[in-house]
Amino acid sequence: MSVPQTPPPRQGVLAGIRVVDAATIIAAPFAATLLSEFGADVLKVEHPVGGDGLRGFGTPSRRGDTYTWISEARNKRSVTLDLRHPQGKDLFLELMRTTDVLCENFRTGTLEKWGLGWDVLHEVNPRLVMLRVTGYGQTGPYRDRPGFARVAHAVGGIAYLAGMPRGTPLTPGSTTLGDYMTGLYGAIGVLLALRHRDQTGEGQYVDAALYESVFRCTDELAPAYSMYGIVRERMGSSHNDLACPHGHFATKDGKWVAISCATDQLFARLALAMKRPELASSSVYGEQKTRLANAGAVNEIVRDWCGSLTRASVLARCYETETPAGPLNNIADIFGDRQVHARGNLIPMDDPHTGDTMIVPAVVPRLSETPGSARSLGPTHGQHTDEVLREVLGLDDDRIAALREQKVI
Amino acid sequence: MTQLKTEADAAGLPLSGIRVIDVGNFLAGPYAASILGEFGAEVIKVEHPVAGDPMRRFGTPSPRPGATLKWLSEARNRKSVTIDLLQPEGVALFKRLLAKSDVLVENFRPGRMEGWGLGWPEVHATNPRIVMLRVSGYGQTGPYRERSGFAHIAQSFGGLNYLCGFPGETPVLPGTVPLGDYIASLFGAIGVLVALRHQEATGRGQMVDVGIYEAVFRILDEMATAYGATGKIREREGAGSFVAVPHGHFRTKDDKWIAIACTTDKMFERLAEAMEQPHLAASVMYGEQRKRLAARDPVNQLVVEWVASLTREEVMARCLAREVPVGQVNSISDIFEDPQFIARENLIHARDEGIEEGIDDIIVPGVVPRLSRTPGRLTNLGPTLGNATDDVMGNLLGLAAAEIARLREQRII
Repeated sequence: MSVPQTPPPRQGVLAGIRVVDAATIIAAPFAATLLSEFGADVLKVEHPVGGDGLRGFGTPSRRGDTYTWISEARNKRSVTLDLRHPQGKDLFLELMRTTDVLCENFRTGTLEKWGLGWDVLHEVNPRLVMLRVTGYGQTGPYRDRPGFARVAHAVGGIAYLAGMPRGTPLTPGSTTLGDYMTGLYGAIGVLLALRHRDQTGEGQYVDAALYESVFRCTDELAPAYSMYGIVRERMGSSHNDLACPHGHFATKDGKWVAISCATDQLFARLALAMKRPELASSSVYGEQKTRLANAGAVNEIVRDWCGSLTRASVLARCYETETPAGPLNNIADIFGDRQVHARGNLIPMDDPHTGDTMIVPAVVPRLSETPGSARSLGPTHGQHTDEVLREVLGLDDDRIAALREQKVI
Repeated sequence: MTQLKTEADAAGLPLSGIRVIDVGNFLAGPYAASILGEFGAEVIKVEHPVAGDPMRRFGTPSPRPGATLKWLSEARNRKSVTIDLLQPEGVALFKRLLAKSDVLVENFRPGRMEGWGLGWPEVHATNPRIVMLRVSGYGQTGPYRERSGFAHIAQSFGGLNYLCGFPGETPVLPGTVPLGDYIASLFGAIGVLVALRHQEATGRGQMVDVGIYEAVFRILDEMATAYGATGKIREREGAGSFVAVPHGHFRTKDDKWIAIACTTDKMFERLAEAMEQPHLAASVMYGEQRKRLAARDPVNQLVVEWVASLTREEVMARCLAREVPVGQVNSISDIFEDPQFIARENLIHARDEGIEEGIDDIIVPGVVPRLSRTPGRLTNLGPTLGNATDDVMGNLLGLAAAEIARLREQRII
């Protein structure tokens, strides 16, 4: 495993951009993480007691926080501040004067209640860009409902689609998928808003809803319902309404492969890999519509073939004929994969607090000229409070001690 | 020639004045171009003169010949120009287009563009300011780079599909097939926006390289770090989650489904109240997450039984009254009736946008993300093949009508 290039902090395209991440768990904080990887200085503002709930979300680490925290709070500096305390609020407003981007995901109305709503912040700093993430967005009848990614998967339509036909709707792979997708959309919104701000001097807010991020990625689901009343149902492992064969197949050694023949040409390659080229003739299963009409039989042929060989053999034959196929990797497979290593997708980072080496996913996307970087692991709670209060807000040690005494920080 | 709203109403949008060439197929990469188009960029789709983008034929057919519903919705905000890149003169024309553009989006198998003389060095030499987004199943480097990798394959390789399904049973699709294409495109759009910022500061373009598999792998929360530290392999979790209990999908009396997510003890306390069994949240019972995780089955069973005793409407009402995180497991027909979707205008009726293309009954998803001052917009549905060829060749590249006719005659455009 190669040692990552670790450029000094605050280099990169977003150097000079200050992001305050006052949010919790993954969605809005992930947007801040992405910005940090490309050079933004991210200050994680946390409640003095307990801090971000992500510190307790998932498998406990030796540090007493969790692995998600260690990986996803990368590159951030942790500052404690109680926004409910009048002095905390004042310090926060002071911080906003020199902040470019604020990320938050409080329930709608919470910041307003504390006197820190958009109108106030916009007045304090008209150039500020604010990313607001909630389950349902800042508007509409459900805006005050609590919303987590699981609920967003359900409301946004993808949980309904995950599972065996007529079976229980399932978690779409990962419980936090909608959080990450919203973080991605949020980062896009922030980058667009920063661009507009640089052109005009005007800040704005990005109103992100978890359920919308998920719903936006459902291809023709809405158009097909609107035009023909088609209600898509759960389809198990096969996409048998659009292409066939297209699914997951078990191999002889109890592993799984994905095979997807989106076009007739790709099916012809699979037939070749199966050493049954006659299947791809137009009088047999050469045409997509014939395969879709006989999906059961076609899938059976592929299932039998996969079941007769090991995963390695199935894939070797598919790769030879350029059939789109791949393993259903678990995390152990991924750690052992040479493509993953060649691309440097796993980076080891030393945790100065424990001396442990942690493996975290590397930066995506990969830029040729200004690559992003993971420079530090998730900070301990309040690790940078003094440093930031001194450096950014110009407070002296006495003032900091007093604030700590009064539990403002 | 179709009159597009694209340029006319882009003024004031963040990407007004940015020209994007999308030479990709299907979604992985092209969806990034769609987002740029929604926020004001001019997007020119370059397609083969005969067949065009195969997404035109993928999915449910629409009333317009040669356009599926997926094409109409996801090739939004583009104009189509035909150029045959298999012919040297086509490549030369394409380079002239690149010289006048800011962003190039492509998703061919690594090596294809190089084969046409359109690898990064050539593209960069043609226009040193250009940002090139390259999306492929496995990325531009590494031993598997030339393998074909659709979303389905790349999601499987990246670890997502393994996780979806009941423990020990067949892994199923994580909801939709092209999820990985969308996710890769979101990362791609971020890369392009970062690169554009650098380009404007320094005049230098660059390449953004996204493997679909790594985009998917990047968003699997603690999986890599936890495995690295503990060796624990995450398995399929059915309708639940390893992080919290109860956290899953439950069937109601009227045979519908709801999602409940008690991520914290406080949420569980609220649920116990909604269930009128507040004692369940006592610390000696199931008040603490670790106790609920240890007693996953009995805790879930209590919720299964309670939910099954009520209609979906009743469960929702009781949970919402207590602020329990709850939601309907919506089908698309539920979504079309949902007041939140309607209030947020998540469903755009082409007719309401003044889109007159013979398929104005169609409803497509609205723009995400939502910006307060410079909201994105839908200007047109997926274009007909080559609807802007004459416009771009004549007005942008300055070719005379006779020259355009010759190129068409020779099937170069």
